[in-house]
Amino acid sequence: MNKPLMKEMHTFGEQETCNQSSPSKKPTPPKPQNAITIAVSSRALFNMDREQDIYEQQGMEDYLKYQIQHEIEPFAPGPAFPFIKAVEAVNTRLRELYPDSEELFDVVLMTSNHAHVGLRLINSINHYQLFIERFCMTGGNSLIGYLKAYHANLYLSADSLKVREAIEEGIAAATVFSPGKITEVPETQLRVAFDGDAVLFSDESERIYKAHGLDKFFEHEKAHENKPLDHGPLKGFLEALGKLQQKFYAKGQRLDCPIRTYLVTARSAASSGTRALKTLRSWGLETDEALFLAGAPKGPMLEKIRPHIFFDDQMFHVEGAAELGTVAAHVPYGIAQKVQSKTARDVKKDIL
Amino acid sequence: MEDKKNYTGPLMIALQYNDLFDLDSISTSTDTDALPNGRAFTFIKAVQTVNERLVEQNKSDCLLFEVILISKECSEEIKMKVDESVKHYGLEIGKFFFCKKEELINTLQSNKVKLFLSTERDDVYEALHTGIPAALLYDQADDHVLNQLKVIFSGDVIGFSEDSLDGLSEFGFSETQIETIKTAKICMKEFAVLIGQMRRRFGQENSPLCTCVLTSWGSRNVCASALKTLREWGLDVDEAFCLAGAPCSPILAVVKPHILWDGGLLNMS
Repeated sequence: MNKPLMKEMHTFGEQETCNQSSPSKKPTPPKPQNAITIAVSSRALFNMDREQDIYEQQGMEDYLKYQIQHEIEPFAPGPAFPFIKAVEAVNTRLRELYPDSEELFDVVLMTSNHAHVGLRLINSINHYQLFIERFCMTGGNSLIGYLKAYHANLYLSADSLKVREAIEEGIAAATVFSPGKITEVPETQLRVAFDGDAVLFSDESERIYKAHGLDKFFEHEKAHENKPLDHGPLKGFLEALGKLQQKFYAKGQRLDCPIRTYLVTARSAASSGTRALKTLRSWGLETDEALFLAGAPKGPMLEKIRPHIFFDDQMFHVEGAAELGTVAAHVPYGIAQKVQSKTARDVKKDIL
Repeated sequence: MEDKKNYTGPLMIALQYNDLFDLDSISTSTDTDALPNGRAFTFIKAVQTVNERLVEQNKSDCLLFEVILISKECSEEIKMKVDESVKHYGLEIGKFFFCKKEELINTLQSNKVKLFLSTERDDVYEALHTGIPAALLYDQADDHVLNQLKVIFSGDVIGFSEDSLDGLSEFGFSETQIETIKTAKICMKEFAVLIGQMRRRFGQENSPLCTCVLTSWGSRNVCASALKTLREWGLDVDEAFCLAGAPCSPILAVVKPHILWDGGLLNMS
């Protein structure tokens, strides 16, 4: 059988369901291996607090009944929603500049939710006109196989257990928390902030700090200034963002590039920060801004930056950021994970 | 329009014996041994689990699976080995039919088979083309351990409108292929209705039967249309996948279905 032309076939069914005489041409999702795939869970993308309460208190059957009863009511946006909207804005710009390229973001809804919730999720995606055409609703089964099948570059979920499982399988993942207050974030520029140690870098230096204290840490970092740190779970995602940034630079759009990255680290500019910058340089990577806080709280700085998402391995920083209005995501990696992670909703209850 | 209440059990499924047993590795010297397992083995075990659970709930349930074996052509020796092997593994096979290749379709029709399951795509599509409900027996690894029967319905076959399906000729599908796809949708219905009834006998969790929709080409709205249609037929599926043109094989390798209703539409690259 001749392989159908995927591009047109995808929008073909749409003409029928849209009932339009001149159907709007929807772009085709890229092939997974070419794209930067962001897998997002249903509770990270949408607010399902009320439904989650019903599930926890009344069980699966009542939860599913409720979802079906409210099928035509779209969910309210969840913590990852602004991030996903900003990602789509980047895609729009990329398609304008490179109409035939498949080097784009691809957002996949990746949820262990039951397919009974499927229609409500699809209705919600339609309501906000999100460009999400791919989804896996696994009815309770593990997501790991699907994350790998989609070559997921990043997995965002509200469920810390799933995120931990993904990290252990080598997939870049983070637990997304809702901010304590709403912050206006830019619509036309995607801003992503990263902690350094145990996020972009390995946790090797953090181990030294925890075992031997601050002085030993400084000593060690100075002595090894020119030895690049090993990479951490989100290095690949920064790299992917960098590749897309290059595409804008190539078209003369460095100044108003719709992607901006930030390093927000407790290291200090004068000393331990050097090793961080040298490591990034050795990898051929950079962040647009590097903020060395020398141990000061990250919340106020992030409030100024207004990123769509901030990744950190320590709950202390995640909570601090969320309190001041930043969508913060916990990366459960490295030595800082000794204490049991709180769930997203516990944090929300603490903040509000 | 057939009233779905007229659909009753048993749910008869026909298998080919060369899917049940692995005949390629037969050696004539060991003729006392049973035939080695084939690709349909985990399927049969899963079907038996569902039946056991159905009977557990209701001893006189008549909506059960029934499996019959069909063979296209084989020697007397093989016939005997098949018979012995079925007994050896304790498989619950209702009937055996040994017929010529040309008689396959007639045999299926006269036995009112509700599903013909085969790993041979050509056999499946030929059967569909004559109006016999047929689906692919997914070729999965033997170590598939779940005691759960998994069925995938194609969201494209169910969700695309009649006009959309006609328009597939623009994409290189032949008339025959398009007719096969349309027939698949009609044939699927009775099977889906019965599976829906079976599924409702179990709760959301710990069910020995798991149903899925997989939309390979269509958009999310095509998938939504498929979900709604299946619901009208009495089946609310457990899992749903929408690929929007992404390769199917990696996803199927994770879902690991037994029964795959694709009607010839799947993107298997």
